[in-house]
Amino acid sequence: MILFPAIDLKGGQCVRLEQGDMARATVFNTDPAAQAQSFAAQGFTYLHVVDLDGAFAGRPVNAQAVESMLAAVTMPVQLGGGIRDLATVEGWLGKGVARVIIGTAAVRDPALVKTAAKRFPGRVAVGLDARDGKVAVEGWAERSEVTALEIARRFEDAGVAAIVFTDIARDGLLKGINWDATIALADAISIPVIASGGLASLADVEALMAPRAQKLAGAIAGRALYDGRLDPAAALGLIRRGRAA
Amino acid sequence: MTIAIIDYGSGNLHSAAKAFERAARGLERPDRVLVTRDPDAVFRADRIVLPGVGAFADCRKGLDALDGMVEAMTEAVRDKARPFFGICVGMQLMATQGKEYVVTPGLDWIAGDVEKIAPDDERLKIPHMGWNTLQPLREHPVLDGLPLGDDGRHAYFVHSYQLNAAHETDVVARTDYGGPITAVVARDTMVGTQFHPEKSQRFGLALIARFLKWTP
Repeated sequence: MILFPAIDLKGGQCVRLEQGDMARATVFNTDPAAQAQSFAAQGFTYLHVVDLDGAFAGRPVNAQAVESMLAAVTMPVQLGGGIRDLATVEGWLGKGVARVIIGTAAVRDPALVKTAAKRFPGRVAVGLDARDGKVAVEGWAERSEVTALEIARRFEDAGVAAIVFTDIARDGLLKGINWDATIALADAISIPVIASGGLASLADVEALMAPRAQKLAGAIAGRALYDGRLDPAAALGLIRRGRAA
Repeated sequence: MTIAIIDYGSGNLHSAAKAFERAARGLERPDRVLVTRDPDAVFRADRIVLPGVGAFADCRKGLDALDGMVEAMTEAVRDKARPFFGICVGMQLMATQGKEYVVTPGLDWIAGDVEKIAPDDERLKIPHMGWNTLQPLREHPVLDGLPLGDDGRHAYFVHSYQLNAAHETDVVARTDYGGPITAVVARDTMVGTQFHPEKSQRFGLALIARFLKWTP
């Protein structure tokens, strides 16, 4: 089980949004590399990074900030946002990103995910962000008519490393992770699922370690880490004890 | 597999249907080619073909006149990732907007505008009507192994407007008619040709066959 601290990039800075709304961005750190180092010092083992501008633009925008983080920490980094073609996948993996997360293209260009996963086993994840059960695309600005499960099933035998499932309605609002929907997805497919959106407190980390969540691969923590609601040491301690048990 | 050819009063469906049937037969597949005005049938189809001749605005109007058709196409292609083939004005409708007499919104699947061609040689007539070779800009499964370039096979064009794509990566092949002409566009599970594959003889059939075999 991995607890991923999230760094979302907008205009080169670390921000948190509420429900994916770019107009509701709070800047938490102007130095992404320093933020990454701070998470490393707290004991986190895997960083989750999103190029928010890239998700809207359909191509990498905060590349410089991402590269500064890759240079600053040794822990693996997974990156999403604006990754829509094989050249971009190859570019990031070549620059040292451990795992790329493909979102919009997983809906509209499934062959990209399949080709990339085949070429880079274990290094391609799919990001499925759902609003009212339907997957959102283009930086969450557009909603599709497909469910996360329908998309996830496309990639059952494709060698996809993980599915990052986000409940947009909860994201950035600290209302707790949507465990029912996340676990239902994880139970329906064989690809490991990472829970995201709304992680609010130690109670969510406890839920992650509960028996019914054992099929999950981890969870992403965003705002709760930045505003101090979630104590990193306590959260990581819970995960270590859970793993040992 | 069912191939839906959308019938929205834009003519020319017979030759398109025949070409897709012939290409499927050549692959020894029992594909069913359905010429239809029914959005549900389009939504259920495995592959969708949008032909088109005439003016951009008229074609858009014809498409909009079929209640629920644009929604069905959009959901099938953009959400369900069904392979899509736009031909001539059907390809141009994939653009953000058409600028033929009036500005008309397109489907906005390929960012770009449909604009009048402007050959730099005044002896070149408009419409551009004739046989041209294709210059590939990048690889794509629907062109895989086809004879392209100056010594390649010719495709049949008849048009006065072309899709000027905002992103170079969406353009797969061009031809030349007193300047570059967008000949093939592709993005995600969609492909479009300015030329008429159904009138481009063996080359056209080979391209359609590749589209039918393509599993995006």
